[in-house]
Amino acid sequence: MEVLIGAGVLAATIRLATPVALAALGGVVTERSGVVNIALEGCMLVGAFFGVFAADKTGSLPAALAVAILAGLALAAMHAVAAITFRADQIVSGMALNILALGLTSYLDYQLYSSTGTPPTIPLVPNVHLGFLEKVPVLGGAVGDQSAIVWVTLAIVVFLQLFLFRTVPGLRLRSVGEHPRAADTLGIDVRRTRYWAVLASGALAALGGVYLSLSVAGSFSDNMTNGKGFIGLAAMIFGRWTPLGALGAALVFGYGDALSVSLQGVEVAGFVFPVQLLSTIPYLLTILAVAGFVGRSRMPAADGQPYESEGH
Amino acid sequence: MRQPSFDWTQGPAIPVVSVLFALVLGGLFVWISGHDPIQAYAALFRGAFGSPYDVSETLVIAVPLLLAGLSVAVAFRAGLFNIGAQGQLLVGAVAAGWVGALWPDLPGILLLPLTLAAGVLGGAAYGGIAGWLKAARGVNEVITTIMQNYTIVFVMHWLLQNGPMQAPNAFGTPASAPIGAGAILPIVLPDFLVPSSRLHAGIVLALLATLGFWFLLWRTSLGYELRAVGLGMRAAAQAGIDPRKRMVIVMAIAGGFAGLAGMIQVSGLFHRVYDGFSAGFGFDAIAVALLGKNTPVGVLLSALLFAAFSRGGTLMQSDAEISSHLVEIVEALVLFVIAAETVVRAVARRWGRPVKAAS
Amino acid sequence: MKRLLAFALMTMTVAAACGGGAGTASPSPSAAATSAAPSKTAAPTAAAVKVGLVTDVGGLNDKSFNALANQGRLDAEKDLKVQTSVTESKKQEDYVPNLTNYAQQKYDLVIAVGFLMTNATWKVAKQFPDVKFAIIDGAPANDKGDTENLPNVANLFFKEQEAGYLVGVIAATMAKNKVGKATHNTVCSMGGIPIPPVDRYIAGYQDAVKTVSPTTTILNGYSNDFVDQAKGKEVGLNHISKNCDILFQVAGASGLGYIQAAKDKGVYAIGVDADQAYVAPGTVLTSALKRVNKAVYDTIKAVVNKTFKAGDNSFNATNDGVGYGTLDPAVPADAKAAADKALADIKSGKITPKDAVQVK
Repeated sequence: MEVLIGAGVLAATIRLATPVALAALGGVVTERSGVVNIALEGCMLVGAFFGVFAADKTGSLPAALAVAILAGLALAAMHAVAAITFRADQIVSGMALNILALGLTSYLDYQLYSSTGTPPTIPLVPNVHLGFLEKVPVLGGAVGDQSAIVWVTLAIVVFLQLFLFRTVPGLRLRSVGEHPRAADTLGIDVRRTRYWAVLASGALAALGGVYLSLSVAGSFSDNMTNGKGFIGLAAMIFGRWTPLGALGAALVFGYGDALSVSLQGVEVAGFVFPVQLLSTIPYLLTILAVAGFVGRSRMPAADGQPYESEGH
Repeated sequence: MRQPSFDWTQGPAIPVVSVLFALVLGGLFVWISGHDPIQAYAALFRGAFGSPYDVSETLVIAVPLLLAGLSVAVAFRAGLFNIGAQGQLLVGAVAAGWVGALWPDLPGILLLPLTLAAGVLGGAAYGGIAGWLKAARGVNEVITTIMQNYTIVFVMHWLLQNGPMQAPNAFGTPASAPIGAGAILPIVLPDFLVPSSRLHAGIVLALLATLGFWFLLWRTSLGYELRAVGLGMRAAAQAGIDPRKRMVIVMAIAGGFAGLAGMIQVSGLFHRVYDGFSAGFGFDAIAVALLGKNTPVGVLLSALLFAAFSRGGTLMQSDAEISSHLVEIVEALVLFVIAAETVVRAVARRWGRPVKAAS
Repeated sequence: MKRLLAFALMTMTVAAACGGGAGTASPSPSAAATSAAPSKTAAPTAAAVKVGLVTDVGGLNDKSFNALANQGRLDAEKDLKVQTSVTESKKQEDYVPNLTNYAQQKYDLVIAVGFLMTNATWKVAKQFPDVKFAIIDGAPANDKGDTENLPNVANLFFKEQEAGYLVGVIAATMAKNKVGKATHNTVCSMGGIPIPPVDRYIAGYQDAVKTVSPTTTILNGYSNDFVDQAKGKEVGLNHISKNCDILFQVAGASGLGYIQAAKDKGVYAIGVDADQAYVAPGTVLTSALKRVNKAVYDTIKAVVNKTFKAGDNSFNATNDGVGYGTLDPAVPADAKAAADKALADIKSGKITPKDAVQVK
């Protein structure tokens, strides 16, 4: 049982779900406004690299986080300009920016840190120790010692859920993604709303990236996000384009990922499952969960469609 | 996720100008990094087209890109986003490699069609699962195909790393046993023309598949229905087409194209299955399809462009000493500028050329 | 839009100008397109030996054997006045054309990094019998998959199990004596994927632990990946939760996450391939070294000195091809002494470390 629902597995679930959840939250915000941003992966990667880079250069954690998020914003801004102003194909633009992010971060990392890696002394995001939970079985072990970014992520989920569905600006954002023409008629600036949403998605994904580099790994390595931005995209759909749903989807994936580690070497009736097949658990679990419990989901009606206002 | 557009027919001027503009932008980047852009592009060009051998190698890369591109394109045409061409390609390769090595002594007239069928059907089945899950359970195909891409990678790890498909003489190398001689696609360029060329008959299959893609979509009633579904669910439903029934077929066809790509890599190039091979074709294929506006000629041309970058890019590193990552950056800029083609349109309009805007 | 046009024009002008401006060293495009050799400002003499290195898909920044191979190339360029070039392979399809490119340009030596290139090396080396080739971690394999040595190919093999054995002796000695943070008498390892060059390290490591300290518990795992640090860290945290306090990584960049787990939890780690003491001082006890740089350097030197030897070339503890790296102050003198004794015994043939993994 310990390998299935023990505190260790649950703690690992949360750690592995966090970057996916942040990417998925970015996806929710941008797609709710009607812009597909497949460059979440790239935003994560620049966040991961520039966070480490700034941590090394400034020695300051707040500066590192700020630079990481700025990097995500910059990449997202390129996507926004292409997708919103120039009405480019959003998927091609996103793919291009993913390649750009991979090339740029790998290039800079090699030029700057190839021989020795980033210094081991860079400031890292601290964990939050919840001493009062220590005595609580399972829960204490699961959440008692998680990165500060994990708690920030949780706060963002709550905030976004309220923002999108309980506030007027949130309603405006969604209306731009559902029916931009009507929103325009009502005096909502469609382009500006979409710009903000795309920028926010870049910042959120970059936070997911910097979590990987400055909280999990303590360093940067080529392509270290390893597709988590795409998993985030899937989690966004899985979670029906809602922040809470995205978190739930990320947790399902993270749980599968945690199992693929905790089940290594575990003997069941004298049989040890091959490690390679254990690694398929998070992917199969996600498909099964969607097929079994979530089913059909509806994307925002104007998702991915460029908007050209009447006046132009 | 998006509606395919239909405006490739506006002539080649805009895409060509876009590529040139992008190359200038990329050159600027190369120059900033302290290299000579002219020398860089000379190496790029030489690597892709400098000699008959280089051209043949560019075509070798273009073949799987073209087929995977068709896979993505056929799904887009029907309004589905197939991110899973990569996974379907690998399943096709595994199926073809398995069948090709199962009866190595069969004559080619039997073994080649069997291997071909295995690859195509393997990819089609894998794609069909995504279509079926969407039709039956409402699972968005983006989720399924992303997850399938990862799943097959780990299944291949298991099959080939000391697993059931590993060749007995591999000494631990994650490779399968070679396929029978009958399953091998012959080299199409004779040695006296291009020495040691690897260009195989897969290129013929790929061109036939492109023709088939065109025929299917524009000359059959199924193709008409698929395009109708792609243009809008409600409209299709009004025309009496059940979009759900078409999903399985579309994704199976898409998987079939990708599976064929995998089969060709096995039968034409490697003659066995390696763990972790053909990485990235299925992802590049998304850009290939969209850049080519999901049309046969467009996909063909953009597959060639990507293949040229792939081959030329390595020469930029070996001959012009430019980091492969800078090459990636240039490639990304090209792609980005082409995506934002309207920039070029706007500029062209300023020049006073009568260029019709995208509808 | 006017500004945009102006920018475009300016861009083109600048690019054209810099193309011409940097002109002294750059040939015209047509010249570059036809001439094979890369142009360099300080071109070596015509007789200089030309060496091309082709990495596998891991790339130059893999923090592992591709990076080391490139280090050997750069060292040789500096010391031996050879002219070198490197190409990163992006996919398996690239191996043959990348090797062919150098061979066609009449390079003297073409080095293939990694055992995934065994068949590609065989193909290209057969076509270019006048060009010398070297392949790291493998031997040329023909289309049937059988090893077929060629007179122009040097196979550079490493006895990773010997390096694994040496660090295993250090780990076992510390675990047995409960030195410092190693209090649970449990050691573990994580490979990237179960392939021979990875498993040989782990096999030697386990062999040493079983020999030196039979009571020590051994764990092993895989990240199934060479890239994903997060996954490597999870395997590490999982091992630490099972009382492991010395973690040996054999997983490239993914293994850096494994080391980070040890650092976070205040236990010990052991690096691999390169000397990874820099990754986490105080955590990384030592590293199992596989001196791919030395193998590349020596092979280039052999070509320069015309002593190139085709067929199997072994790099092992005896010829300093493998070994252990910088020792952290946490490693006690008796552990170092035990490792040095094991090294002497391996050299004298008294110990032959196993090359098959026992604890999977």
